Amino acid sequence: MILKVSVNDDDYVLDISPSRSLAEVLREDIGLTGTKLACGEGFCGSCTVLLNGTPAASCLVPAAATGGRKVETVESLAPDDSDLSDLQQALLIEDAVQCGMCFPGILMTLTALLKENPAPTETAIRSALVANTCRCTGYERIVDAVLALANKEQA
Amino acid sequence: MSTARIGENLNRRDAEDKLRGRTQFTIDHFPRRTLHAALKRADVAAGRITAIDISAALALKGVRAIIFADDAPGIEGIGVYDRRLFASDYIRYYGEPIAAVAAESLNIAREAADLIKVTVEPLQPVVTMREALEPDARLVHPAWASYAQTEPGTRGRNVAWEASVVRGDTDAAFAREDVTVVESSFTVGRQNQAYMEPRVCVAEFKDGRYTLETSTQVPWSVRKVTAEILEVPESAVRVTVPAVGGAFGGKFETAVEPFAALLAKKTGRPVRIANTRQEEMLTAPARDNAEIKIRSAIDPDGRIVGREATVLMDAGAYSGETGFLTSMTSYTLGGVYELESVRLVSQAIYTNTPPTGAFRSCNGAYNSFALERHTQEICRTIGMDLMEFKKLNVVRDGSPSAIGQRNDGNILGPLLDRIDALSAASATSRRHTVVDGRLPDGRLFGEATVVGGWFVFVGPSASTVNLNPDGSVTVITSGVEIGSGSMMQSIPQIVSHTLGVDVSAVNVLAADTDASGYDVGVGGGRTTVSLGGASTAACEEVKKKMLAVAADYLEAAVEDLEFVDGAATVKGAPGIRMTVAKIAAHAQTTTGPLSGSGSFNKRGTVRASGCVAGHMVDGLEMPIYAAHNCEIAVDPDTGHIEVLAYRTVQDVGKAINPKAINGQIQGGIIQGLGYAIHEEITIADDGRIEQEGFETYRLPLATDSLPVEIELFEDAPSYGPFGVKGAGEIPIMSVGAAVACALASATGKDVQQLPLTPPRVQRILSNTEEPLSLEHISSDWRDNVLANASELEAEVLGAANLKLR
Repeated sequence: MILKVSVNDDDYVLDISPSRSLAEVLREDIGLTGTKLACGEGFCGSCTVLLNGTPAASCLVPAAATGGRKVETVESLAPDDSDLSDLQQALLIEDAVQCGMCFPGILMTLTALLKENPAPTETAIRSALVANTCRCTGYERIVDAVLALANKEQA
Repeated sequence: MSTARIGENLNRRDAEDKLRGRTQFTIDHFPRRTLHAALKRADVAAGRITAIDISAALALKGVRAIIFADDAPGIEGIGVYDRRLFASDYIRYYGEPIAAVAAESLNIAREAADLIKVTVEPLQPVVTMREALEPDARLVHPAWASYAQTEPGTRGRNVAWEASVVRGDTDAAFAREDVTVVESSFTVGRQNQAYMEPRVCVAEFKDGRYTLETSTQVPWSVRKVTAEILEVPESAVRVTVPAVGGAFGGKFETAVEPFAALLAKKTGRPVRIANTRQEEMLTAPARDNAEIKIRSAIDPDGRIVGREATVLMDAGAYSGETGFLTSMTSYTLGGVYELESVRLVSQAIYTNTPPTGAFRSCNGAYNSFALERHTQEICRTIGMDLMEFKKLNVVRDGSPSAIGQRNDGNILGPLLDRIDALSAASATSRRHTVVDGRLPDGRLFGEATVVGGWFVFVGPSASTVNLNPDGSVTVITSGVEIGSGSMMQSIPQIVSHTLGVDVSAVNVLAADTDASGYDVGVGGGRTTVSLGGASTAACEEVKKKMLAVAADYLEAAVEDLEFVDGAATVKGAPGIRMTVAKIAAHAQTTTGPLSGSGSFNKRGTVRASGCVAGHMVDGLEMPIYAAHNCEIAVDPDTGHIEVLAYRTVQDVGKAINPKAINGQIQGGIIQGLGYAIHEEITIADDGRIEQEGFETYRLPLATDSLPVEIELFEDAPSYGPFGVKGAGEIPIMSVGAAVACALASATGKDVQQLPLTPPRVQRILSNTEEPLSLEHISSDWRDNVLANASELEAEVLGAANLKLR
């Protein structure tokens, strides 16, 4: 089938098999491998993208269902050589990243959270992060990075 | 110019690309014209294969090749050569590969795998270690006696490997009239590594050689094992490793690489194979389930005069890493407390379950749990304060370890003092709110302080450092960045510091067995020690050459030169200098480019003669310790444990980068909380692992974690570069111990199993948890040993008697 979809503000017309997930199409057909596929079951959140601004596990979304919708991936946060987003910068300063596989998904979840609520509480940050599993870091630096942004927002 | 300092909190250099989504892991690699591979896996845990029919699969459009046992003749193993790539005659575990398909798409490959018809005569699977050890148990490997083994050691029937330690006269200790004897039994489940990047490999066959890009911790081991399985020379295999998306020990063995290699040769195309999460849950080399019985004889002063322990480790269907890891018991169970006499035996047991393997701190994670719970039971029995007992008995300078090595330096005593102080001063403590053992909200309060010991798994490493004409350097090793930061933080920091060049001018080549010398692999906390040591040696050679060039150019004697701020400088005349960049450029046009190479290996610590059998590890090369303290709340209705506070003081030798180490400790302890409380793998009666994904395997989430209060203990003896010890392995070690001891202290009950899931805690609270007896493990240690126990003892009693202190 022919899919017309907007990914990171670029329009794509793709000939895809209707059974394929959005994650597969992003990674294999478009070449945006920033979106990771770690469990393929919608539990780990490493494939999280924004669909019309809302976080979604792209491994469970059929690519065919995204026609005419706006998809944003981790690559949209600091396109090309532009400066890192505030969130990316905060995670960089905290030295939060380890293996890094889960971070693209975590970034999309938290980007949506911060858009809705620029100064979330610690509880709100942890609740949002329940959608994303990180096996390396033990989460606290990620929480601290977002809290630092929230505090800056309130100041 | 900014030369890195040792102890400086430099951020890691790979973080920005990882945050931009630019980092290419193996899983992100889709070369043009790649074929996709899928495995046909066994759907019974035990059986005899009578026929394999691939005709329907071969007929499917898009299928390019199908391989099975006949295509992979070689046999592999770590201590025992007991494993082939595909099941050929017998199926030994649910999920065992039977055939592999390469096709134009992953869907076609999977469909073809489904179409392969395997006729199996099912056998009753041997699922538990208790069944495997029954005298009339079916043999998981009927031909075990014919297998080659790489090391001397005892094995037999369903015992894949045995390692033992005998030191001192244990019989005499237990026979003393003034001792109190305490016996404890424990059991633990498996833990899946749950790295985010599954095991994946992209293979190509070109110029008569196999090139494997793969997600592994051990490039050289993948090269060796792939060559063994394919029966080709090792030099025919090249392994490269980009960034690895987590490993935790689970990528310490060759896994999917030989399938991809064989299919690439057969099709002449690149072949990509990636496990699904379900495949990873069913077949990853999880931390083994284990059963432990410990007996101790305690004298009236509270000293441990005799100790015996038997540790059964479930190897699953093949001996693999778990056979190798039997040696670790001597350190993880025998390396923490002074033992006047000791007998330990660890056996890797064959069962019809997926093979287990290495996971961060390996058997230390449960031996520490058993050791510290047993210690708690001892103190309850003899009525001694736990902290007093620990401080009296922990190893100190000169104490012999279980295997008779002399301990170097006082570490555990000071660690206990430090954790005491940290805990007493901590603002997060809730202990002052506790009345009659309960928190104001009615939940039970528990607290525990525990200690654990591991050793840095040193081993050989090689490094080459090239000085480039612009003054930058390239470090060439087989070190892999698995997320810990050792290759992206420590090594550049060490090289920058040693050579006096800007840290941003140090580039580290991704692992490539064609470019670099041998390396054991990333694991056991060894990278910063061994690759750091090799790289330091390489830098020293480069420095020596640089001084010769500078001496010639500055017309000075080499002895009169020193390196100051990234320049060779005449002593006493700081104005006369030549920068590294200038030296590099000058050398290029005169002597030729400068480079150095270095290597590193363990020192070879001497152990007592005769007391060790079946050990695949030479000795306790570089011991490393940690003390943990935690406070928990237990909901008496639901059995839910909430960790209120967690603290640790960890021996790190010298902290190259304290912030990076703290990140390893935070992550390791949260993984440990998963192990302690909710990561549960159960194996059904048919031998199948019941947790097939993250829906049922409950990993720690951001709502489970808490900030760990961390102090680093520096300056313990170490022969690593700058006195460093590996810091990433040990954080997880004592978490199960800490939580279990806190639960035992909160409830006054015996806590014998991990994980402490809410249903189990509820049963413990209501006294409905079956007490664990482990009847298949005898209280008489000799009954449990496969080797001739009296021969082991005779050898030791004849050797020089080791005295404590």
